[in-house]
Amino acid sequence: MNLILDFAPPLVFAALGGVLSERAGVVNIGLEGMMRFGAFAAAAGAIFSGSPWIGLGCGALAGAAAAAVHAILSLKFRADQVVSGIALNLVALGLVTYLLQAMFGSSGVSPPSPALPRDRFGHSALAYAALVVPLLFHAWLAWTPQGLRVRAVGEHPRAAATLGVRVLPLRALCVLGSGILAGVGGATLSVGLLGQFDSRMPAGQGFMALAAMVFGKWTPLGAAGAAFFFAAADALQRQLSFSLHASDLRLEGVFLALPYALTLLVLALGIGRTRAPAADGVPYDPEAES
Amino acid sequence: MNALELSGIVKRFGEVLAVDGISLSVARGEVLAVVGENGAGKSTLVSVASGLLAPDAGEVRAFGRSLPPGDPRAAIDAGIGAVYQHFMLVGPLTVWENAVLGREPRRFGFIDRRRARDEVAAAAQRFGLSVDIDARVDQLGVAAQQRVEIVKQLWRGARVLIVDEPTAVLSPPESAQLLATLRSLAAAGRSVLFISHKLREVLDVADRIAVLRHGHLLQATSRAETDARQLTSAIMGLSRVSGTPYETPAARSDSARHGGHGEFRIVSPKLEVREVVCRSDRGKLALRGVSFRIGGGEILGVAGVDGNGQAELAEVLTGLRPATGMVALDGDPSFHRSPAAARAAGVVHLPEDRRRRALCLGLSIEENLALGNQRAPPYARGASIDFGGRRNKALELIRAFDVRPPDPRARAGALSGGNQQKLVAARELRGGAPPRLVVAVHPTRGLDEQARQRVHEALRAAREAGAAALLVSLDLDELRALCDRILVLFDGRSTGEVPPDASDEQLGSLMLGQESAVG
Amino acid sequence: MVELRARIFAPARDPLWGALLSLLASLILSFAAIALSGRDAMAGFADLAAGAFGGPGPLGETAIKTSVLLLTGLSVAVAFSVGLFNIGAEGQLIWGALAAAVVGRSQVPGVLLWSLLAAALAGALWGLLPGWLKVRRGVHEVISTILLNWIAIHLVHGWLIAGPLAASGSGAEVSVAGTAPIAPAAWLPRLVAGSRLDAGLPLALAIALGVWLLTTRSVRGFEWRAVGAGREAAQASGIPAGRRICEGMALSGALAGIAGALLILGTEHRYPGVFRTGYGFDGIAVALVGGGTVWGSALAALVFGALRAGATRLQLVGIHPSFAELTQGFAVLLVAAPRLFQPVLLRLRGRALPPSSAPPIPTVQP
Repeated sequence: MNLILDFAPPLVFAALGGVLSERAGVVNIGLEGMMRFGAFAAAAGAIFSGSPWIGLGCGALAGAAAAAVHAILSLKFRADQVVSGIALNLVALGLVTYLLQAMFGSSGVSPPSPALPRDRFGHSALAYAALVVPLLFHAWLAWTPQGLRVRAVGEHPRAAATLGVRVLPLRALCVLGSGILAGVGGATLSVGLLGQFDSRMPAGQGFMALAAMVFGKWTPLGAAGAAFFFAAADALQRQLSFSLHASDLRLEGVFLALPYALTLLVLALGIGRTRAPAADGVPYDPEAES
Repeated sequence: MNALELSGIVKRFGEVLAVDGISLSVARGEVLAVVGENGAGKSTLVSVASGLLAPDAGEVRAFGRSLPPGDPRAAIDAGIGAVYQHFMLVGPLTVWENAVLGREPRRFGFIDRRRARDEVAAAAQRFGLSVDIDARVDQLGVAAQQRVEIVKQLWRGARVLIVDEPTAVLSPPESAQLLATLRSLAAAGRSVLFISHKLREVLDVADRIAVLRHGHLLQATSRAETDARQLTSAIMGLSRVSGTPYETPAARSDSARHGGHGEFRIVSPKLEVREVVCRSDRGKLALRGVSFRIGGGEILGVAGVDGNGQAELAEVLTGLRPATGMVALDGDPSFHRSPAAARAAGVVHLPEDRRRRALCLGLSIEENLALGNQRAPPYARGASIDFGGRRNKALELIRAFDVRPPDPRARAGALSGGNQQKLVAARELRGGAPPRLVVAVHPTRGLDEQARQRVHEALRAAREAGAAALLVSLDLDELRALCDRILVLFDGRSTGEVPPDASDEQLGSLMLGQESAVG
Repeated sequence: MVELRARIFAPARDPLWGALLSLLASLILSFAAIALSGRDAMAGFADLAAGAFGGPGPLGETAIKTSVLLLTGLSVAVAFSVGLFNIGAEGQLIWGALAAAVVGRSQVPGVLLWSLLAAALAGALWGLLPGWLKVRRGVHEVISTILLNWIAIHLVHGWLIAGPLAASGSGAEVSVAGTAPIAPAAWLPRLVAGSRLDAGLPLALAIALGVWLLTTRSVRGFEWRAVGAGREAAQASGIPAGRRICEGMALSGALAGIAGALLILGTEHRYPGVFRTGYGFDGIAVALVGGGTVWGSALAALVFGALRAGATRLQLVGIHPSFAELTQGFAVLLVAAPRLFQPVLLRLRGRALPPSSAPPIPTVQP
């Protein structure tokens, strides 16, 4: 259980980031890269300022900055959203390693950074935030005017436009918000859990968050639930590998592959009518002939 | 002061001039109908009036105030509400959410759900529109969705309601109910701009009727001053009929093929269609038992107002749409089981939506010319592309059909609409083995006179070569010029089959669904 | 349903220009970044060149990396041609590598050939799956291939290599070493003394030529491109679009699988316990920068391969080898927004902007 509360928060935040962007109609496979920027900036910010909270803020900002590139490319220049996301991941891979080397003279790990304080159960505030934020997000999406507009813009942008909703600015805000969430997710890995940045971060967590988003049917509660479920599978796997019998079988990989396989299965069988927002990934052109 | 006033509106898309200087006004409490064939500019006019599109020239005024161009919010605020042909509804949202989107009543930053629901329900009730406001919109039928659109606009306080082709998707009783609603809105002092091409409805509901053709306003008259026949001829551009420049088949040397009094003697029917029934994409019955025969060397015209089953008929014949009943080409009833089978049987297709159905826009002209015949000479030699043969054939076809630019390597997507159609016609009619059945749907729509002539020549040449041809067109001049007989469809049924020299009156009443005993 | 606009393999010379331009621009950007951080960019460039091309040793390294990148790049490009965006080359490569490592251990005659074929088959199956899911179940290939990548990574690295297929003999430590070594007969022959240059490069080039012939010269390749450029029009013209998509994806997977085999049969000679390649992901960059064409991809593969090989030298002047990845990222960013880029391109060629210039990459719309 403790392990789950450790493993889940990064996934939860990143998966919520995915939900926010894609519900507004912008595919975001750059979550991995945004998390990486966030994780690094959080560690660096915490080291230089001495405060893990400032580090967290830096992580959020870095995620937003990366998302801004995605927003500009995909919304303003109408670049293919998948390509833009891939480019972001590639740049994150190279640039962060480069910055790590340039700032801390190491290509493996950063120096230890101040970590977020933990309570007597060993959890940081982010662990609890991961429980609360999905609920707030759900309430926002379901019950506020802005949430309603986001849902409309991701499904039928032209319909929203006929009612005076400004599609592109709203989408841009959602992509930025997505970057903030992914950046916080990354920061959770560095200043939240490990207390330093490791150059392998986020080690595919961004993609797992994407899977959680799909598994959770693009809803905040579903995605967060899937993230907890995936984290549980991971925790279980680690528990098992401590026990001798399981380590002989070497089944970690099977457990790790399980979330992805289940997600694919859900998609392939169309269980519960899993469906992306109708306009997800479709560039919006205000002047197009309808 | 008029409720809505459009003056001098011009709107072009790329090279196409969709609306060319139209001025119209709607008074308070008035229902103004705008009629015209597809592509006449009706939908574009709606988008401009509702602020969705900014016009290239001209002005929109509501209740005397000029509206900023291309600003839907300003139009909404001024009391203009549009119900588009393709519903602007967000499927997974509920009815009331759709209604309040963009103008949500708020309470502490949240949507004031109760107020929103109450108000939307009240707006629906006031005009007798029955909708379940908590239902998800994508789970409603089309008629209910349309009521949602109207409720949405009424809740927003629309004083001018624009409805674009509202009855295209409705059954007759549903249509009648809608028209009654529109009348009651007008009676309550609201104004309605009603876009349609169904004349009966227009005559039922409108106070005044405007006719558009090719982006121009032809006439705007009060209901009392016009009737179905006059409107039909205006819409179809029949004023030119008397001096038609085309040679009609009746005048051709082989006119002996026609018997008298509507009895057509067909020696060996190439295509035989008996009691064919099929459904549209929306699941409605599109063809309700249509029968006809076409002989070799004969062109059968299919006339009728758009949306009466013509498109579906063409899709059935080309293997794109399953159907029940009998369809046989030279006695073979299975030729239309798939597009590949139809093509192998010698069926060629000039589809209505050529950009999607006939062309790979990202490929070059010569590649598009090979499409469908790519496995046979001169396009291929064994398993490999015969570049020389393909190029020569492409140059030949480009020359024969005057495709511009005459560069076989140019991308099909970069061509103008007319040249794209010449490309399709060249490939289908001359690209491979001589066709046995030609299915052409609006083959000259949007084409200039010269491109039109090319396509007509090619269709005539195919007929001379012994092919059977089915030509769907709205253009009566075209049907008269090319066809040996004209079949009229109304609501998925044939209302008559007439010779090409049938009068406008006769064709018009058949198109309006008045079955005629006259041959 | 997904509509794709693809000008992949179109008879145009733009892609090569695009590839050259974006590669140059991204190199300049990366070196500017180095200069900004206060290091000697010119010296870095010299070191990079020496590390990539200075003598048989470095040339061999460049060749190995180029051939693998070329194959994964072609894998992605072939998927483009049928209109699909294959993010899954990494997973297909992993299965190919594993198949080569397993078959390569046997003692049958012609084991090298069998290993390559096994790798191609394994990759093809892993590539066929998303194609089939797309055609039959409507699952978007971008999502399914991402998922399949991680399924492959975890199943192979976390289970097969560590457990059932681990080199037998001594306990747990062996798992780090990966599978048992392959037979020497399965090694790709080295071509030059003093260099690791092996038969992988000529093989990759021959395959590239084959792919070029198939996609641009054969009728089947034409049908693939027609499906990619307009699935509905292709279907209406009688081409079985679903089948063509599956074929293209199978070939795509096979190419990535062979790329994996080159790594195993050429340099690793076993499936190593730690095998982080990233070549599959880099293949996406190669294909995108190469404009989806065979020769554009070859150019991009050469540049990225040389960067990867030469970047190890850069450490001498204090520049981290991640420089290569950074450059690659910039290059993709530049091609990601063709609208940002096309005016320059067209001005260079002295032409006005055409009315509807399609991007050189497919646009995916679920």
